[in-house]
Amino acid sequence: MSTDKDISPPIIIKDKGANHPINHMKDSIMKLLNSFGFEIIDGPEIETEEFNFDMLNIKKSHPARQMHDTFYVENKSKLLRTHTSPVQIRGMLEKKPPLAFISGGKVYRKDDDATHLPMFHQVEGIYVDECVNFAQLKDLIYKIIYSLFGDGIELRFRPSYFPFTEPSAEVDILSKEGKWLEILGCGLVNPIVLDNCKIDSSKYSGLAFGLGIERIAMLKHGVTDIRDFYKSNLDFLRQFK
Amino acid sequence: MKIAYEHLLSFFIDRPSINELSNKLFQLGHEHEIENEIFNMEFTPNRGDCLSLIGLSRDLNIFYDRNNYVSLYDKPINNLDIEFENHSQESCPYISFMKIEIDNNVNKYEDYLERYFSDLNINKNNFFTDISNYVSYEMGQPTHCYDESLIHGKISFKEINSEIKFETLLEKKIKLKGTNSVFLLDDEVINLAGVVGGKSTSCSKNTRSVIIECAYFNPESIIGKTINYDIRSEAAHKFERGVDPMNQENVLRRFAQIVSDHAKINKIEMLSLNYKKYEEHQIVNDPNKVNHILGTKISSEEMSGILSKLGFILGDSIIVPSYRSDIKHLNDIAEEVARGIGYDELPLEKLQTPKNYKIEGDVIEIKLKSLLIDKGFYEVINSPFVSDGKEFNISVDNPLDSNREFLRNNITDSLIENLLYNERRQQDTIKIFEISDLYTFNKKLNKKRKIGILCSGRIGDNHDEFSKKINENYLIKILEDFISKEKISFKSINRKDLSSKSKNSIISLELEISEFNENIINYNSICDLPENFVQYMPISEFPSTYRDISYAVSNNIKSKSLQKLIKNFKSDYLKKVFIFDYFENKKLDIIKIGYRFVFQANDRTLTDKEVSDIMESIINLSNEIDGIEIPGLN
Repeated sequence: MSTDKDISPPIIIKDKGANHPINHMKDSIMKLLNSFGFEIIDGPEIETEEFNFDMLNIKKSHPARQMHDTFYVENKSKLLRTHTSPVQIRGMLEKKPPLAFISGGKVYRKDDDATHLPMFHQVEGIYVDECVNFAQLKDLIYKIIYSLFGDGIELRFRPSYFPFTEPSAEVDILSKEGKWLEILGCGLVNPIVLDNCKIDSSKYSGLAFGLGIERIAMLKHGVTDIRDFYKSNLDFLRQFK
Repeated sequence: MKIAYEHLLSFFIDRPSINELSNKLFQLGHEHEIENEIFNMEFTPNRGDCLSLIGLSRDLNIFYDRNNYVSLYDKPINNLDIEFENHSQESCPYISFMKIEIDNNVNKYEDYLERYFSDLNINKNNFFTDISNYVSYEMGQPTHCYDESLIHGKISFKEINSEIKFETLLEKKIKLKGTNSVFLLDDEVINLAGVVGGKSTSCSKNTRSVIIECAYFNPESIIGKTINYDIRSEAAHKFERGVDPMNQENVLRRFAQIVSDHAKINKIEMLSLNYKKYEEHQIVNDPNKVNHILGTKISSEEMSGILSKLGFILGDSIIVPSYRSDIKHLNDIAEEVARGIGYDELPLEKLQTPKNYKIEGDVIEIKLKSLLIDKGFYEVINSPFVSDGKEFNISVDNPLDSNREFLRNNITDSLIENLLYNERRQQDTIKIFEISDLYTFNKKLNKKRKIGILCSGRIGDNHDEFSKKINENYLIKILEDFISKEKISFKSINRKDLSSKSKNSIISLELEISEFNENIINYNSICDLPENFVQYMPISEFPSTYRDISYAVSNNIKSKSLQKLIKNFKSDYLKKVFIFDYFENKKLDIIKIGYRFVFQANDRTLTDKEVSDIMESIINLSNEIDGIEIPGLN
């Protein structure tokens, strides 16, 4: 064996693998929110109409219930959750305020095209305490979006509608090309939802927000077809080391 | 909903520019796109009251004073004597009928009516139906016109529960199923209430005498009908979102005014039926609480200013206008105030959550992922929907298609699909894993959190591992410290069953996460947000090809020069390069280095010549280093 230090064989480069970019984005957003003081909770992907709709003030007759075109399973006895919000309901029923939860995972809607998939991922958060107000919600949303897109990003709040929040807002960021892009939905928890969860809405108020992970991952990574995330193509996955 | 900028302007005293109006609409929460001075509005489902010129102008009244653009027919109208029975007053608490008879047929429309059709590119139908459509656009209230000469008998409104054939005025034949609210002429269905009228009594170009029906339908009785019968209906869209329950007479007077703008009215009669007393919704007027909700210090004068411009009447309590059925409590009032001021103008207040929680993510799972990634495995996420339902698979009641009728009960099948997909794309080494909840149904719902691991091919693309193939021992070695050996049972997968040409064995495991112990040391980093996000490069859909070169190098210094040269070599088509063989022959004092070059283009299949040309330039460059030979090459 040669003793000269210069003449060693080439270093063995062992290729590492990678987290899936969607899980990576989801987990890092959860970690960020966790550092803001939110506790991570988990809930089932197969839900009941009660938790997915009724408790969230989405009435049977409500157009919003049609908007979510829902997958039902086992003779309509259950459904695939259309959002991660039922997890918040379960959390609120279990614990007393003050409470701060986040939850992330797979959700399902009956869609299938270049921008919508039947399965996608969400992260949602809720904070309930005495005197939670809209100004605090705005502060939190600014923090989240600045952490994701940098302090320089311009954002706007637009009034919107979700049956489980009131007032409700959607938040857009201004892209480099000068286009407003929708990033998240948020609002103050509708007092009806608090009452549904046996939380006294005359004493407590809450804020809630939800983000679509695919949308943010597409923007951050420059992926234009959402379906690329789920082809399990190694050439694709290798790029996200 | 399409609303023309010019049509909207006629409701205001000032003429704001289209861009200004657009900004104000966004401030109010009305998303839209603009094309050729037409707003393509996307209203949230709670704002059915905005689905018209009047409705939208009411909301914009916060910023712009309105004029009295809409004039109503103000001459006295006689009582209409009509045979009508309402058997479902809950579904239809308010309804009005008007009968109008005109002198002669109308061929030419006034400018405002003509422009509705031309600006929005809408097809005309007949005089009365055209007015009905225009009034719906202007006032937000759909009406239905019956040709009076075809109405002989008793009209009734009913919820029916039988299967009946019905032909719409657009000549679409449908079969009514389930519960439907309909208008009947004696026993014949003449109108699917709130959705579409029937052909048998519809107006034509020759209609001179018309009965206009104008109602408030409970959204519950309308919802879902357009989907059930595959009908596009602007009327249903409005009724589903709730029209103004107190506006039927006004709408009919507007209808009459438009008729009288075009023709001499011979006869006009009206009947209004209210089966339920309308009760105004009232909310306690509490500006302090509103400021509490918003975190603001808005004066009560400013609040009142905004609310009264939106039609709320303020006193000790706030009286909600009849068209705002979406306003229920003080949080809704706070949203109205916030919209008027602009969400972006509202202040920020530092949020202090009460506790700091530790990371409670699944530690075993995080460690397990890091371990596998370190060994070159890629995480994948697969669709849960599969075509075949074996035992206990959960079935989807309304699947997207027959290939997705069940939820999977294992991960391995998905990973095998992933393997074959990648092998078709000339990947010779595949190492993947997926972690997922799996649900099954056996009398009750069962949930298991599992990891599936699958690998096949070479252990690694380096000279140490290139010739070593992945086998069971390879995966056992990775996992043995973290799970007891007896739990590692491999799934045997036969290549023959997969009609796959590759000879590499497939090593596959599927285990419950809970079976792993927590001894997975040194792997505990949960992901942080990356500083710089990878900018994804589109993947080539064309085949790749490779070339190998074996160099004979006289000493190690030369070897380093060669490695540097190849590392720095750039080509658009060179996708990957690695040393697959390295051998020092001490006796002959020669080092053998084998390089593999992989080529692929993004837009086409590379020709042999193109690849050879690149190889030639690599060879020429490496020949410039003394003491390097390529045996077998002349």
